[in-house]
Amino acid sequence: MTLIDNSSFIVAALAILVFPIIGFTINGLLAKSIKEPTSGWIATLSVGFSFLAAVYLFFGLPADSYFTVDLFQWIAFGETTISFGLMVDALTVTMLLVITGIGMLIHMYSISYMHGDEGFTRFFTYLNMFVFFMLVLVMGSNYLIMFIGWEGVGLCSYLLIGFWFKKSAYNDAAKKAFVMNRVGDLGYLLAIFLMLFYFGTLDYSGVMVAAQEYTAINGNTIVTAVAILLFVGAMGKSAQLPLSTWLPDAMAGPTPVSALIHAATMVTAGIYMVVRSNVIYALAPVAMDLVLVAGVLTCVYGAVIGLMQNDIKKVLAYSTVSQLGLMFAALGLGAFSSGMFHVVTHAFFKALLFLGAGSVIHALSNEQDMRFMGGLSKSLKTTYTTVLIGSLAIAGIFPFAGFFSKDEILAFAFEENLAVWIILSASAVLTAFYMFRLIYLTFSGEYRGDEETKKKIHESPALMTIPLWVLAGFSIVIGFIGMPEGLGFTHAFKNYLAAVTNPGTEILNLDPHAHSVALELILIGLAMGLAVAAILYARKKYVTDKQLPHKEGEKLPAFQHAVYNKFYLDELYDNTIVKPIRFFSDKAFVWFDKNVLDIMVSGSAQLTKAGGNSLRLLQNGNTGFYLFLMVSGTILLFIIRLLVK
Amino acid sequence: MNTLILCVGLGLFCLVAELINIRKLLLPILLVGLGVLFVFTLTTWGTELPPSIWGFSMETMIRFDNFSIAFSALAIFITALVFMLAIDYYKTEENHITDYASILMFTLTGALVLFSYWNMAMLYLGIEIVSISMYIMAGSRKFDTRSNEAGFKYFLMGAFASGFLLMGIAMVYGATGSFVIEEIALYANGGNLSPLFITGLVLILIAFFFKVSAVPFHFWSPDVYEGSPALVTAFMSTLVKITMFGAFYRLLSLAFPGAISEVYTILFIVATLTMSLGNLIAITQVSFKRILAYSGISHAGYMLIAIMAIPVDSSAALFYYTISYAIAGVGIFAAAIPVFFFMNNEKVEAFNGLGKKNPALAFIITILMLSMAGIPPFAGFLAKYYVFSKAVEFNLYAITIIAIINSIIGVYYYFKVILAMYTQEPDGIEVKPTTLYWTVAIACALLVIVIGILPNTLMGLMS
Repeated sequence: MTLIDNSSFIVAALAILVFPIIGFTINGLLAKSIKEPTSGWIATLSVGFSFLAAVYLFFGLPADSYFTVDLFQWIAFGETTISFGLMVDALTVTMLLVITGIGMLIHMYSISYMHGDEGFTRFFTYLNMFVFFMLVLVMGSNYLIMFIGWEGVGLCSYLLIGFWFKKSAYNDAAKKAFVMNRVGDLGYLLAIFLMLFYFGTLDYSGVMVAAQEYTAINGNTIVTAVAILLFVGAMGKSAQLPLSTWLPDAMAGPTPVSALIHAATMVTAGIYMVVRSNVIYALAPVAMDLVLVAGVLTCVYGAVIGLMQNDIKKVLAYSTVSQLGLMFAALGLGAFSSGMFHVVTHAFFKALLFLGAGSVIHALSNEQDMRFMGGLSKSLKTTYTTVLIGSLAIAGIFPFAGFFSKDEILAFAFEENLAVWIILSASAVLTAFYMFRLIYLTFSGEYRGDEETKKKIHESPALMTIPLWVLAGFSIVIGFIGMPEGLGFTHAFKNYLAAVTNPGTEILNLDPHAHSVALELILIGLAMGLAVAAILYARKKYVTDKQLPHKEGEKLPAFQHAVYNKFYLDELYDNTIVKPIRFFSDKAFVWFDKNVLDIMVSGSAQLTKAGGNSLRLLQNGNTGFYLFLMVSGTILLFIIRLLVK
Repeated sequence: MNTLILCVGLGLFCLVAELINIRKLLLPILLVGLGVLFVFTLTTWGTELPPSIWGFSMETMIRFDNFSIAFSALAIFITALVFMLAIDYYKTEENHITDYASILMFTLTGALVLFSYWNMAMLYLGIEIVSISMYIMAGSRKFDTRSNEAGFKYFLMGAFASGFLLMGIAMVYGATGSFVIEEIALYANGGNLSPLFITGLVLILIAFFFKVSAVPFHFWSPDVYEGSPALVTAFMSTLVKITMFGAFYRLLSLAFPGAISEVYTILFIVATLTMSLGNLIAITQVSFKRILAYSGISHAGYMLIAIMAIPVDSSAALFYYTISYAIAGVGIFAAAIPVFFFMNNEKVEAFNGLGKKNPALAFIITILMLSMAGIPPFAGFLAKYYVFSKAVEFNLYAITIIAIINSIIGVYYYFKVILAMYTQEPDGIEVKPTTLYWTVAIACALLVIVIGILPNTLMGLMS
């Protein structure tokens, strides 16, 4: 990595950050006077300008170099200093392009999607704020700046999930996301403290060096702890088991939010963070294994649950959980650039699928249950075609984007760990199946909803279909930036990221091309064959046999029942964590309330009634009770002091 | 020394003002006076002149060092902010404004004494000046029974705590034979401490626990905060709290540095209880003032960690914490008092829909609340960070972990207010703060951002 000092890069980097702030400020301050759709266009353009600046950086900045912008020295404590700075390298640029590019398209789509909503301007204000924090997250030069972005996107996600706050279920979903993310944040914070204490720095480059030096002398216990704690943070943000249950609930937010935050960008922050910390992970094999296990389990967990969901957005949500698991599995295997590659391809096709689903929901007057859809391929041609492209991409059919990235991870798994390969391949088959279940239930057969909705079915306006087409185009071609090396092609994306991921990969010392071209072709053929078989099976089941998902309340076989209920993970949390805490805080509070506070509160209420009689009431023992507690406390402290020094 | 005299002078001036009938000009004059006082305090920075009055040395009574100057400047600044609010707050009660103003000035005097005492007698004097003024202020709404109750209750319990303090001072005197800080320190550092001395120290600690509202000596604070007039609550929860912490730190770091290890367990238990109980109970409160009371209790817990880390010189960390806490506190009250006033309601529900009714005000409250909750980049985050890193430097891992968990729980109830502002429906009653409220609220919000982003100037001063 070479450091470049180029003032036009610095200007571009600052511009990327400043444009969303400008959009945010204009929309936020003038919320009352700006009319729809002006605020939407302001927000879209501000992200668009950021995108242009990001494109400039992409073409200007050589892949093996980076530049930093030290805005000012933020914290100085003893010998430790933390600067408020930005750092941009190939990995950052990759994320920047995804965030601003897809972000801009989704902003544009939202102008039409949010049409008529009373919170129109508020929506775009939040959306701009989200983009800003997401950019901070990926552009920061140290873990603390990343944490600012990390918290900021969490906040925006929270605000946007609960955007339609008048429905209490939506607020609950927002709260759940918030709480689960706080659990993860605790891990992240502890990791920051550990790094600060043992490595004395939080700068990415500094930590990279310090971690290696420290490990060489003292062994890798601390590095392992840091890696695991950071991963706990990633589990929260990227919805990995066991902190996965908030993401499907987060679908309560408007669909563009699901596409931008809960599919393309924010949830991949955990993967970005692990890739950014690849040296730390490479030094801590135990943490790598943990990442691998969590990733693999989440991958299969999400895919299995996706099979039985009837809400079109929930299917996509579990699919996202599953795909994120696949990315983490890649990271756990040491294939950092492959994980990142899948982040990029997934961002395109998953955003496409969500926007497509949004288009369907839009057409059906907010119906989300696939049991009441069907036969929409005729009336929603564009939506159908683009969603089909997205589904082919996620199912891993050549030449769509998902094929390249997924195949790369599978090939890697085949070399490293056969069991992992089998599980991931099985998940890929399930993925192909549930995606085409979605396609067939939604678009083929007869329409199953009510007549009134049927009359209103219409294709979405151009503002919504243009983003769909653009994303569909990318879902076809974007995979070619990562042609399989096993077949003798050049992997452009991997080479682009090489300077970032190499330090970690070198420590791991994996040999990437162990198998022959023939084996590679067999693997590809096998993966494709299985996917096609799954698609055909879905076709037989839902088109030929015209099966429908079971109705509410219908009896199911035990396993299906468990799957339908998401393996009772929510109930498990409810019974083991939520209820006991609620019980405890209720009891503790009720006790306190009744015995300590209530006496005083009701005392003062009576006082008001009794007017001048306050002195008499004051002597009824309440204050005495306080004093009694104080004296008890004093005695207790003395006893403790006697027993333990 | 001159600062102290000038401060008393301003207090006396308020009383005279009533006689010569210049009530209208009183507050502007006081603000100018406080400004002079502030500048004057800062000019004494780094000069450790021996204190004297007309050539009469006060060296065994009071000493001014950078610690006391820094805290004094902060206290003067906070008082000035509160006075700015007072101008509009007491508009309707012109009769008493001179009394209140003088009492507040005397409170400040007591605070200045508490930042610079060099003698246990002065410590007691300072604490009583501050406390008695506050008893009066808590009950200053003469015809409001809740205010009466608050004042009286505060007085009863405060007197009780003063008893502990006196007893402790007496016992320490019995063991060391002196009231002077450095001679007590000499004894404390000598090792072989007598039980009398340690008992005295624990009693003094308990008195301070009461004054900073640490659990289980906190019972007065929610009641008193709720019953007192909102402006007095603002003063109490910011100035008085940081004063007591300044005095606490000064006492333990100068007089008892050799004895802290003797009471370490007590500090640990009290700090843990204070953080945890304050936070847990705050979650379920509906009254905004009670939430702030319990939030103040939990903040006291974090500041106690700075006290525990005295051996590694955590004064800068404590100072930063008090600044961020006090400024955010005053700012929140500056923004909340108009809400209470217009909505005629002091519960969280008074904030419903403020984000729509008055977005700017809601935004300011959000910033201040986020700072209180410890979210970067606001000052509250770094405040916690500095205190925690001092604790880690002194190997206080257990308490740091407890504190981190607590600071995460704490976020919840601050968000409750933010949520009420942005996700609830407004009810149509407009909230229009006057210019002075706006000024103070905006100034505080800007300050928590500026010192949150550029903490080095402040931190550099102290080290």
